This record gives sequence, C-alpha cells and structure tokens, in this order.
Amino acid sequence: MSQPRVFLVDDHELIRSGIRSELAGAVDIVGEADEVEAAVEMILERNPDVVLLDVHMPAGGGVAVLRALNGRCPEVRVLALSVSDAAEDVIAVIRAGARGYVTKNISGPDLLDAIYRVAAGDAVFSPRLAGFVLDAFSLEGAQLEAADVDPDLDLLTPRERQVLRLIARGYSYRDVATELVISPKTVESHVSSVLRKLQLSNRHQLSNWASERHLL
Amino acid sequence: MNITTPSRPVIGTPHRPYRRGVENAILGGVCGGLAIRLGVRERIVRILFCLGALVAGIGLLLYVVLWLCLPRADESDAIAQRLLGPRRQLRRVLVGLVAIIVFGLILQALGAPSLGAYTLPIWLSLVGMIGVWRGASPDERRHLEELAKSAPIVGVPGSRTKRSFYLRVILGAILVFAGLRVLRHFGGAWYVASPALVGTLILLAGVAVGLAPWWLATLSDLTGERRERVRVEERANVAAHLHDSVLQTLTLIERAAGDAEAVTRLARNQERELRAWLFDPEHASSRDLAHSYVAQLHEMEAEVENDWGVKVELVTVGDLELNDDVVALVAAGREAAINAAQWSGASTVSIYAEVEPATVSLFIRDQGSGFNLAAVPSDRRGIELSIRQRMERHGGTVALKSIIGAGTEVELVLPRSS
Repeated sequence: MSQPRVFLVDDHELIRSGIRSELAGAVDIVGEADEVEAAVEMILERNPDVVLLDVHMPAGGGVAVLRALNGRCPEVRVLALSVSDAAEDVIAVIRAGARGYVTKNISGPDLLDAIYRVAAGDAVFSPRLAGFVLDAFSLEGAQLEAADVDPDLDLLTPRERQVLRLIARGYSYRDVATELVISPKTVESHVSSVLRKLQLSNRHQLSNWASERHLL
Repeated sequence: MNITTPSRPVIGTPHRPYRRGVENAILGGVCGGLAIRLGVRERIVRILFCLGALVAGIGLLLYVVLWLCLPRADESDAIAQRLLGPRRQLRRVLVGLVAIIVFGLILQALGAPSLGAYTLPIWLSLVGMIGVWRGASPDERRHLEELAKSAPIVGVPGSRTKRSFYLRVILGAILVFAGLRVLRHFGGAWYVASPALVGTLILLAGVAVGLAPWWLATLSDLTGERRERVRVEERANVAAHLHDSVLQTLTLIERAAGDAEAVTRLARNQERELRAWLFDPEHASSRDLAHSYVAQLHEMEAEVENDWGVKVELVTVGDLELNDDVVALVAAGREAAINAAQWSGASTVSIYAEVEPATVSLFIRDQGSGFNLAAVPSDRRGIELSIRQRMERHGGTVALKSIIGAGTEVELVLPRSS
C-alpha cells in the first residue's frame, strides 16, 4: 500500500509539529488546520485518506468538523485524537462518524499503525474504548427495555463480545485472532460491525453520552 | 456550517438546496430561504404566503409544515427529524397530536365559536408551532425568544416585571368579565350563555397553554443569571485546584530535574490525578474512601505505577460494592500486576476488570519476556501463596498463561455470592 495522505487538525501548534515529526517519512502529510471552518474547507478540497482530528477545539471541536463533513466526502476517514478518554468524548466523536479513537500519549509506531488501519477502512479500538462499548451494551440494560431493542443494532453478538473483551484485556488484533482461532480479517470485520452499531444504535446509554457532552 | 450558502437572495440566481434562512429570517426563515432558493426578493415570497394564508389558512399551514421539515441553513437536521429521531420522543409527539385533536373535538361538541373553513389549518398550525418550540435548536430558540419579547401585548420590551404582569392579569380578567356580560346580553338568558361560557373558558385555557413558551423565556433569563454565577465559582475552583496540584508538581519536577526516573514518576502521577479530576469527578471524589471494586483498582493502578515505574492501563466494565472476597481478588490482582512490573520487562501492564451477573473477573497481562512456571524457584512463592491460595480460599480460580518471549496473562475469576 502506498503512503496514506494524512491531514492534521489540532489547535495547538506544538502538538501538530510533534505529530508531524513522528510521522515524517511514513505518511504523506497533505495539510493541516488549527480551527474548525478552515479544516472543513481544506479537507473537502484536498480529499485526504485520513484526517487526524483533535477532539477539543474552540467552536465545537472535532465533532463540529465531523458534522460539517457529514456525507460530503465518504472516502475521507477520520481518526480522532484527544488527551481525554472520557466516555462522553469518545462516544460523541465515534457517533459523529470517526472510524477510531486514540489518546495523545500513544506511541509513534502505534499511531502509525492506527493510521494505516483506518486508511484501510478498518476501525481502531483502544482497550478503553472496547471497555466503554461493553459497558454501554451491557446485557442488564438490554433486559430493561426489551421492547425497544433492535437486535441488529442494539445488541452485540457473543462473538463480538469476545473480541471486545480481548481488546479490553490489551490484546492486539493479531493476538485476538490467534486466541479465537480466526483470521485477522475476521477480527477486523467484527470490530467494524461493532463500530457501526456504536454509531447507529439508539440505546439510551449512548444517546445520553452524546447529548450530555458539554465539557470544555 | 454551510459556507457556500448565501445569506441573502441573489436576484435572478436560484440556489440549491432549499434551506431556511438565518440572516434574513423574520419568524422561521421559511420565506427568506425560499427567496434564496428561487433567487427572488423576500418581500414577494412573504406577500404570496400572506395571501395564501387568506385562502382558508392554507398558507399558514404550509409555512408551519415547511418550518418543521426544512433544516436551517446552518444546521444539518430539520426540527421534524430532531423530534422524530428518538423513538420515545416520537411517542410523545403522537400523544400530543391525539390530545390536541380530542381537545378540538370537545370544543366542537361544546359549540365553541367556529372559524369555519379556517378551523382545521389553524389547529394543525398550532400543533406544528408546539412542535417547532419543542424541537428548535438553542440558536433558533434564542431567535424566537427575542421575537416574543418584542411582540406587542405579550412582552413589550422592559415590561417583564411583576407589576406589569399583575396589571396584565387584572386587565385580562376584566376583559373576560366584560366579554361574559356581552355574551349574556346577546344570549338573553343564562342557559344559552353557559355553553358559550364553558367554551370561552376552555379557549382561554388553550391560550394560556399556548403562551407557556413566553413564561419559559422569562424563567430562562433567571436561570441564565444563576448559571453565570456558578461559572464564576467554577473558575475559581479550577484555579485553586491547578495551583494546589499542577503548580506544586511542576516545582517538584524543576527541583528533581536531574533524576529522570523521579521526573517521570511525578509527571505520570500528576497526569493521572488531573485526568481523574477533569474527566472522572465521581471517582476522584470517592478515591479516599475506595469503597467499590473499581475505586480499589484505581488505587492499585496508582500504587503499581508509582512504585514500579511502569504504565498501567486499567479498563473496567461495571462495578460492585466491596466485600471480603472482592478485597482478596484485588489483592491477588495487585500481586500479579507487581509480578508483571517486576519481572516481565514490559513497559505497560494491562488490567481488565469486568463485573458480570454471576462472576467478577480480573485479567492482568503484560507483553514482556514470559516465564516457565515449572522453573520458578521454590523459594519464590508469590504466585502460589499470594495469588492461587488466596483466590481458592475465597472460592475463586486462577488461570495462568505465559509464553516465553510473548508475555504473561493472569486470569482471576471470583463467583458472586448472591
């Protein structure tokens, strides 16, 4: 695979230059922006493969960028980047359309791995995010409002649950595949399916998280 | 945030798509938006809508329907979409619709003054307006509130004091009374007037309900003030906290600049504390008591990170109250985590804790050197004593998996007693 074309969005110059130097040579950085409107305009214009998007920015933050892009460039994939891994932030950006989520203390090689994974169309789940999903899709919640549950969107399959549990335990996708005796591609398709549910499900735990997000 | 949509119509140049106007909106921006869409003057569109409203109220109804169904130019969702999105909301809308229709039928049955062909469109528009109010975005609501405050009778600017409110109520009561006298006079006898009286009362109730939004607007002004005060206090709290924790730590780091390990430890410690304070206020405040499984684990995470200089990645799903068994589980987990930090050589230890209906489990994993369990010298009894025997005493199980060169995972499972 050729080098993915990456676009950086972060309001801190220091962070942008840090990321730039860490990714130098491994990806093709096609541009950067430090605020929401410029980011939207330039992303639409340059059509990168992957957008590295800061979650906390003035004027609506990463979620505002995702909403503005919504549907206008489906081939651009967004990887959210943040200092916080608070549930409401994670869930909000994922539901707004991000394909993955990493925290800023991620190591250079791990970030690169995440970028390549997102560029290939896969989802990036950190252990913490896997834990949130297991929490939000807990079985106890499902029993409470069985009438309202859409099994295709609101419930995880036992296999997806297994995969998420292993990711939460710190397994890489490859380790998960070995442990469950399935191919890495199958692991990725399970994770993508969980991501879809996370974005589309109406479970109230998720919508609560998304709507209560007025932090920072 | 649609950058390309013009805020005023460009005469002669139609513009897609049709969105409600923001800059050129008087009420909902329906006419302004249509003017932009068609590339004509707003005034022409407005006059046409007003004329339409004279034709049995059709123009009015059309306006409200468009208001509900079209997104504003600076928003992605229409009011109707927002209202109908969550299923529970949809149910509420349907109930409201039925209630309004029943209310209308009752009025009809009681013989309230009918407006002829206008009745239905006006009722439906009223329902629509309630929908608009419920589903409006904060921006749009602010616009409507401002409009309401400058509207005659309801809120002459500067008249939103208690006295003018009482004045209005008294004035209203006098008007109602006078109206009743007139009704009686024309009806000639009380038995003719009483249905009209009931009808009028119900109508008044309806008007009162209709005016509720303006009430809310007044109330929200008050809460706004309160919120401002809370914000100022909050800021003071933040400043105090940053001073006590972050600045202190920075000073310590400056002093320990030569000692890389100490600096890392201080920074990591501060990071964790700040993170907990910013994003997880519940755990931060209950940390001292540590009366739950998750709180104990957070404590253990901090301890292992501080004492052994490794990064601990803790993920928890669910929580439960502490009891002897859970305390033992955490103690066994601590032993396993310390083993990983001490012997594996890995820089990160992953801990995953899950509370399920029947079991509580704890996984401690590192991607370090791994070891051969059989080759552990017999004087190193940590695993045997602190982990396996402790778990077994409390009815739990231990599974240990280690691959040389790939790492170790310890799985601790405890059944939940009732």
